Amino acid sequence: MTSPKAARLQKVFPVELEKFLPEKVLKNYGKWVDRKYHGYGIIEHISETGDRVFTVKVSMPPNARISADTLEKFADVADKLGIGAVRVTMAGNLEILTDSLDKALKIKEEVEKMGFPVGGWGGALWGINSCTAYLTCTTAVVDSPSITKALGDALAPYFSEGGLPAKLRVFVSGCPALCAGGTAIDIAIVGQWGAPPRIREDVIGMCLPPPKALAKVKEAQIFLVQVCPTGALSLRREGDKVKLTLIGEKCINCARCKENCDAFDYDPEDVGVAILVGGKMSNTGGGARLARVLIPWLPANPPRYEEIVAVVKHIVEVWKQHANPGERLADFIDRVGWAKFIELAGLQDIFNYYQQVPEFARTFLHYRGMGEVPKRLRDAL
Amino acid sequence: MWAAGSARIPYVYTGFIARRTRDGTISELHFRVTQPSGYLYSTEKLRQLVDIADKYGLGLIELAGQQGQMIISIKPELANEAIDALRSIGTDVAATGDSVRELAACIGPALCEYALYNTLEARDKFYTHPKIYEWLSNQLFPFKFKAKFSGCPMDCARASHRADVGFIGVWVGAPEVDLELFRKKVESGELDVEKIVARCPSGAISWDKEKKELKIDGSRCKKSMECIRTAFPAIKPGKERKVAVVVGGNVKGRFGPKLGWFIGYLNPDQIKDAVDLTFKVIAPWEAEAQPKYRLGDYIMQTGLDKFIEKAGIKLEGAPFTGKKPDEVPYAVLPKEVRERFLMFAEKLKGRP
Repeated sequence: MTSPKAARLQKVFPVELEKFLPEKVLKNYGKWVDRKYHGYGIIEHISETGDRVFTVKVSMPPNARISADTLEKFADVADKLGIGAVRVTMAGNLEILTDSLDKALKIKEEVEKMGFPVGGWGGALWGINSCTAYLTCTTAVVDSPSITKALGDALAPYFSEGGLPAKLRVFVSGCPALCAGGTAIDIAIVGQWGAPPRIREDVIGMCLPPPKALAKVKEAQIFLVQVCPTGALSLRREGDKVKLTLIGEKCINCARCKENCDAFDYDPEDVGVAILVGGKMSNTGGGARLARVLIPWLPANPPRYEEIVAVVKHIVEVWKQHANPGERLADFIDRVGWAKFIELAGLQDIFNYYQQVPEFARTFLHYRGMGEVPKRLRDAL
Repeated sequence: MWAAGSARIPYVYTGFIARRTRDGTISELHFRVTQPSGYLYSTEKLRQLVDIADKYGLGLIELAGQQGQMIISIKPELANEAIDALRSIGTDVAATGDSVRELAACIGPALCEYALYNTLEARDKFYTHPKIYEWLSNQLFPFKFKAKFSGCPMDCARASHRADVGFIGVWVGAPEVDLELFRKKVESGELDVEKIVARCPSGAISWDKEKKELKIDGSRCKKSMECIRTAFPAIKPGKERKVAVVVGGNVKGRFGPKLGWFIGYLNPDQIKDAVDLTFKVIAPWEAEAQPKYRLGDYIMQTGLDKFIEKAGIKLEGAPFTGKKPDEVPYAVLPKEVRERFLMFAEKLKGRP
């Protein structure tokens, strides 16, 4: 009864767990009772049946993008020293599973020989997530994988040797769409445009109804008008022509329009990043919350992004010096309060200047407002 | 500088991303390949995937834990064969665009002792449901829709921030304390009681020094997992397990990033309820939301209480959804609202 078309429509999903889970994990499914840590990057899972599984956590390159050959090498390691299984983590790390501590240490040795650091557990940097940016993205502002690389080089000791009060995660997103994982994280770096986009008049017609229909259709039914969250995109009548125009003062640079239509151009020279701190996703400590903007604008200067790296290192340093053991950045800021944290970070003068601008102009939908504000911010910074 | 391109693969509507350069000279095709629940691969399966990436693409792979593994740059002319090859090894391209996206679950009972319900099974049940399946393979919604399954309040699958509907394992009341084991651990110096008491965010833990007794006030427990993490297995999650439902969290949406709203509990053994609940959640959003509104944006627009009413969700433990009282003392009120307050006062009148 299945026609070729119906068969073609039928997607196949990897839903039968027995086929995918390694034997040892399947045998102890739901029976784990304890875990032990063996230095940064090696963790021991103890089952009630007495079985033990060790996982070795390996950091991946920015954006977790590796060649098929490298992945095959990891598979070789997992076959030779492990139980023939690997796990991809949410943070873009790779875990190799094995069954004894000796083998785990050997895996660590082997993987480090390949040039990949092992670590990221407990009071350490757990990894830096990055979006794909220029590799595939249509809206990318800054090249987030290269920022990730620059940051990773600076923070690498924290990954493999720890030394932080608690877990630290960093998300580097190339644009306000936040594909690296949002802002509910210790430190989030978000690419920003400096000015509203310019409409490419020659191609904007592709995303609008034909001119005759455009004159008749209600404004609220135009897709691009619906997509804009602040109403900055609107129809204007010029003579007998109806045109889509962008009101610069209303624009918040969220790029929702560019995401849906390729007729918007931002100035590629005028780009920077915002740095948000003090968010987290898990319910530990004071619970989940979104991060807040500490630095609303910094220029993104490839290849080393010295400004961004310096600020992030400074924030980590402040947190490391003043936090109690086991206190994540979010909980630390909660305890001391934002005012004190800004003072500790040495930003109080800048914030005094920055916050003279009324709040509605400074932030709207979490992003910076336009008009005079960015100029003053740049002066202040 | 990429722009949205197009690719035509017969009868496959989601799961690949097509890109072209602005002048149209170069085009790319990326596959989003579904991962098995928990993202655990045997090396055998991994090698098969690697072979496909080598054979049909440029041999470049993104190991994205969030959104399914991505095989990069499939050669467009080989796309059709690549899909067949993927299906022959038991996986497929997942979802892109305005559809139900790749579901995510934490590692759960496969490797973690804290898992409070079977997250992997829940994800698999979701996948096999015909309706979810239809929504996965067709773009029918105002914007994307994500569902995530976290086994415990530590929320490794990020169900509260990155999912439109998230299912998080919790327990009711106080954590379970194995006092003997706890005492033993304290005496051996493995645990520092004072630290455990101090780390509790709601101050629910008290330690009786003389009797050597640990007490946890269940009504104040915020399920922060702090004590459980340090003292496991002497302190364990409580016996009565529930699955907390969170709706409306998102990262990319009209009104910026937001955390989800908690709307009540499900029972952990009835995953069917979770699927039904997802249908209820989707129904008003699909029907009424404007284009490019995420569920969270829609809830912000209608209000959480109205949304719950429209969706017809009735869950135990549903929170009070009223807003904070007004700060200004003047308002134009309809008659019925005034009458309700009057009735409230009337009831109190006769009391001594």
